[in-house]
Amino acid sequence: MISALKARWDAFRGSGEAAVTVPPMDGALRPNQLLEDAPLLCAIAAPDDLAVRSGDLLVSSGTEIRRIRADGGTDLVKSFPVEVTAIAASAGGTLAVGLANRTIELVGGKPDGLVLSTLGGRSAVCTTALCFNGEDQLLVAQGSATRPVAEWKRDVMERRATGSVWRVHLSDGKDQALAQDLAWPFGVAPGDGGQTIVSESWRHRLLQVGSGTAPKAVLSDLPGYPARLHRDQATGEYWLALFAPRNQIIEFVQREPEFLKQMMADVDPAFWAAPALKPSATFLEPLQGGAQKHLGMLKPWAPTRSYGLVVRLSSDFRPLGSFHSRADGTRHGVFTCLRFGDHLVAASKGGDAIVELARSAAVRPVPELEFA
Amino acid sequence: MAASETWTRWRYRYVPDKLVGEILAKNWIDTLIPVVILSGVLTFFSVQMPGFLGGSNLTDIAQIYGEYLIIIVGITFVMMAGGIDLTVGSVFALCNLAALLLINSMEINLAIGIPAIMLLGGLVGLINGVLIGYLGMRAFLTTLVMLIIVRAIVDKGLLDYGQTISRGFNASSAWEFMAIGSVFGVPSSLVVAAAIVLVGHVVLTRMRFGWHVTAVGGSRRSAYNAGIRVKRTICLTYVLSGLLTGLAATFYAARLSSAGTDVGKGLEVTMLTAAVLGGISLGGGRGSIVKAMLGALIILLVQNSLIRMGLTSGTSSLVLGGLLLLAVAIDVRWVKNRHKVLARAYVSPTYFKLPPLPETAADSGSDYALNDKLRGVEAIGLGELDGPEDVIFDREDNLYCGSRHGDIIRFFAPDHTRWEVFAHIGGHPLGLAFDGEGNLHTCVGGMGLYKITPEREVIKLSDETNRSLLSVVDDSRLRLADDLDIAPDGRIFFSEATVRYEMYDWMVDALEGRGNGRIICYDPRSKSSRTVLPNLQLPNGICVEREGQSILFAETWGCRITRWFFDGPRKGETEIVVANLPGYPDNINRASDGTYWCALCGMRSPVFDLALRMPSFRKRMVQKVGRDDWLYPNMNTGCVIKFDAQGNILDVLWDLGGEAHPMITSIREHKGFLYLGGIYNNRVGKYRIPGADPNWTSFDDYWGPSA
Repeated sequence: MISALKARWDAFRGSGEAAVTVPPMDGALRPNQLLEDAPLLCAIAAPDDLAVRSGDLLVSSGTEIRRIRADGGTDLVKSFPVEVTAIAASAGGTLAVGLANRTIELVGGKPDGLVLSTLGGRSAVCTTALCFNGEDQLLVAQGSATRPVAEWKRDVMERRATGSVWRVHLSDGKDQALAQDLAWPFGVAPGDGGQTIVSESWRHRLLQVGSGTAPKAVLSDLPGYPARLHRDQATGEYWLALFAPRNQIIEFVQREPEFLKQMMADVDPAFWAAPALKPSATFLEPLQGGAQKHLGMLKPWAPTRSYGLVVRLSSDFRPLGSFHSRADGTRHGVFTCLRFGDHLVAASKGGDAIVELARSAAVRPVPELEFA
Repeated sequence: MAASETWTRWRYRYVPDKLVGEILAKNWIDTLIPVVILSGVLTFFSVQMPGFLGGSNLTDIAQIYGEYLIIIVGITFVMMAGGIDLTVGSVFALCNLAALLLINSMEINLAIGIPAIMLLGGLVGLINGVLIGYLGMRAFLTTLVMLIIVRAIVDKGLLDYGQTISRGFNASSAWEFMAIGSVFGVPSSLVVAAAIVLVGHVVLTRMRFGWHVTAVGGSRRSAYNAGIRVKRTICLTYVLSGLLTGLAATFYAARLSSAGTDVGKGLEVTMLTAAVLGGISLGGGRGSIVKAMLGALIILLVQNSLIRMGLTSGTSSLVLGGLLLLAVAIDVRWVKNRHKVLARAYVSPTYFKLPPLPETAADSGSDYALNDKLRGVEAIGLGELDGPEDVIFDREDNLYCGSRHGDIIRFFAPDHTRWEVFAHIGGHPLGLAFDGEGNLHTCVGGMGLYKITPEREVIKLSDETNRSLLSVVDDSRLRLADDLDIAPDGRIFFSEATVRYEMYDWMVDALEGRGNGRIICYDPRSKSSRTVLPNLQLPNGICVEREGQSILFAETWGCRITRWFFDGPRKGETEIVVANLPGYPDNINRASDGTYWCALCGMRSPVFDLALRMPSFRKRMVQKVGRDDWLYPNMNTGCVIKFDAQGNILDVLWDLGGEAHPMITSIREHKGFLYLGGIYNNRVGKYRIPGADPNWTSFDDYWGPSA
């Protein structure tokens, strides 16, 4: 009764659950062009996930895993019959590969040839992220209990929460659920004290999960949809990629059940009012008023459904700095960012590029003195 | 179509939601609050007191009402200029004393006496005015102090002249008329008050001084920057208030001949309450004489009724104070939130369903299949132009286009690199057309239909049309004249895109999907305009066909091109020529091979088409989502189509990705080239039309080759 009244009151006031406001990019998230202007390491179609194995930088792109050479070229490491949805490498050289055919394959090292197809008795439908914790433990994020990764747009628009995070012991095949009913966990990384950090994408936050404890939000109200999270082994900091920005119109459409139903039934997903990985390329996509071109130019601050954003987080999850590719840029839809040697590399799936970022550039900007 | 959609369609056709916003947008909406309070007061006391509206009671009230009105007109001027006058109570007492002394005791002629008393009041007003206006002292404190000083003078005067006054008696008939006389049953004071109210209203709304007062009250700094003598204006309002209080006091003196110490006590609070209750804002700049009249009436009725109900004077003051608090609260909240309410209520979407979106994929074989013909077109005036909505050529091949700065720009033939400002109009020129004599006609957004002679003289042809009978918005003024064409007989047909939005808001009209626009005919013989086709969905481009009996016009949000016969055997008929375009048509112009060009300024997207079928979705979007985040038609890609009189699509020119011409609003063929304009663009594009007649010009096609 009370909650029904609260829902009505929120709908009237536009507060609480009915709020369509989005947090501003400010402070450490103040926009810049560092990601857009970063030097290109490798041009490759739709790079999805990155991993470092035995000093090699590996990237998954479509059905292949490729190794990136220092000169920017790539060599094929392994090819699969279906899409690769996530990869991870252990320090010992084992590669875990999440596949769209509901399996996770292990390549190299001791468990070479192992294929995981169920987690807690259910098939691994939607492997969005993998992470080794030592040689024996593999952390697995399942974005959804029913949908494959390719249907992420439908899942985000319906704001489903059927995802889960698992810890699998490779030696004996035992698995253990660390958290259930998450809204599309899209990244996992080891935290301090045996905890696991998960990016819960549709709820724009990072969670700390562990067996036997309730998930706890460690960073909330992100201005975008968080994707993969990697820990910088040298400094203990984290690198978080956000693959799309939050946008008032998307939040609004998510809360309009009738319109949403019709849109999903009648319109090609590529043309939905939904988060996107690439800047708008066709007039069939919806346009927001602020994105109207004036004098032949799209303004960088225009409302946008795609964006490129990498955030540096301290070991206690305070944002320290960020790299951006804004509305007028192309390096959007960054799924992964991790440290490789002395550099930082980011895979922009929407921009078909892997770029090299200067780690030291990610600092909180000093506000300029406007009237000095 | 689903049953719920059918219901939606009927509901939005027959429930005029738009009226709410239109009524809220009216200036007189502020008056609604005192009217509601007044009717509440009337109802309450009619029920409570039988005979409340009886004749004898009304006569009593009317005399006092006349005096109140005279005072409150002055107060209104002071408050409209952002000030406050608390001295009225003591000035009233002072002038009452003076009137009794001069007229009753000394029996001075009224023609001298009344002006003298008014001048006395005016003198106090002048002191106020000098202190507040010229010395910049706080109005509240200054008039409060003056209230006390003047009251002290009155008390002193009563001691000195009290005896003299009580003995005096003026028996002149004029004095008696002021006291108890009436014209057709209306008391004398009310007759005079009516005249003052009328003059006050005219001055405040129609004359220079009144406008200055409103401007000073609205924004003192802006008024100063606009050249208004702020100090003098403020000073004069206090003088006016003093003069009128003096006049009211004279009527009071004639009526009661009383010089008690309590004359005029609390009058300042009563008058202030009346003014604020009527809706005259304490912040200045908002209000009217009518509101003051309503406020005074409410206060008088309440006061009078409370006394007649036998309440003690303390209770009466309590009620009055409560009313003042209420009025101030309403004033503050209303002024603060009115524009928010209006912003939420004004945009009023309606149901509109477009046919399925035509295919545009490059390999689809559709009439509209994508290509890249406009990639790399030559640019004219790149980076120098801002908003060339339309382009046109004179007989000497000079190119003319509009600019957002309110100019017509002329690029010189033959290479169109050198340019000058041909004429300055002041509003953004949109459609352009030449008549046979070489006069350039243009539709100017926000201003109307203008003509520029070859000698660069700018002549306004029309800025209004006939007002339609049932419209709430004033649709007689032209808000957004858009494109035009000239018939062989000289009549000018022009479109007005929407009557509900200003130039800078025209895209918001897309969210409504209603036929808010119209086509208007200007007849140079009668020099007047009449609406010929109302209720069109953003009518835009207009082109007179070669037979000279019909026009083709584009309805941008309707995605169609229609023919309308203005002459000949089919006069008055309309027929759709091209329906269900994949984008939003803008200007239409003639092509050299007897067909027509049409620019599509933007393209349809499936999501927006769907939103058009869900008006309540769009309404909520406007209310909840920030303005820059609203869904709009996709105006970042445009194209050009060529069609014949039967509506067959012959060609389509695309600029994929909108690199050079994101939004094409106009096209003009001239000597084998096609020129492209865009309302938000920074250039005019030049495209060579393969196989086009290199000698054909639009000017000759309309008006014949030059002699």
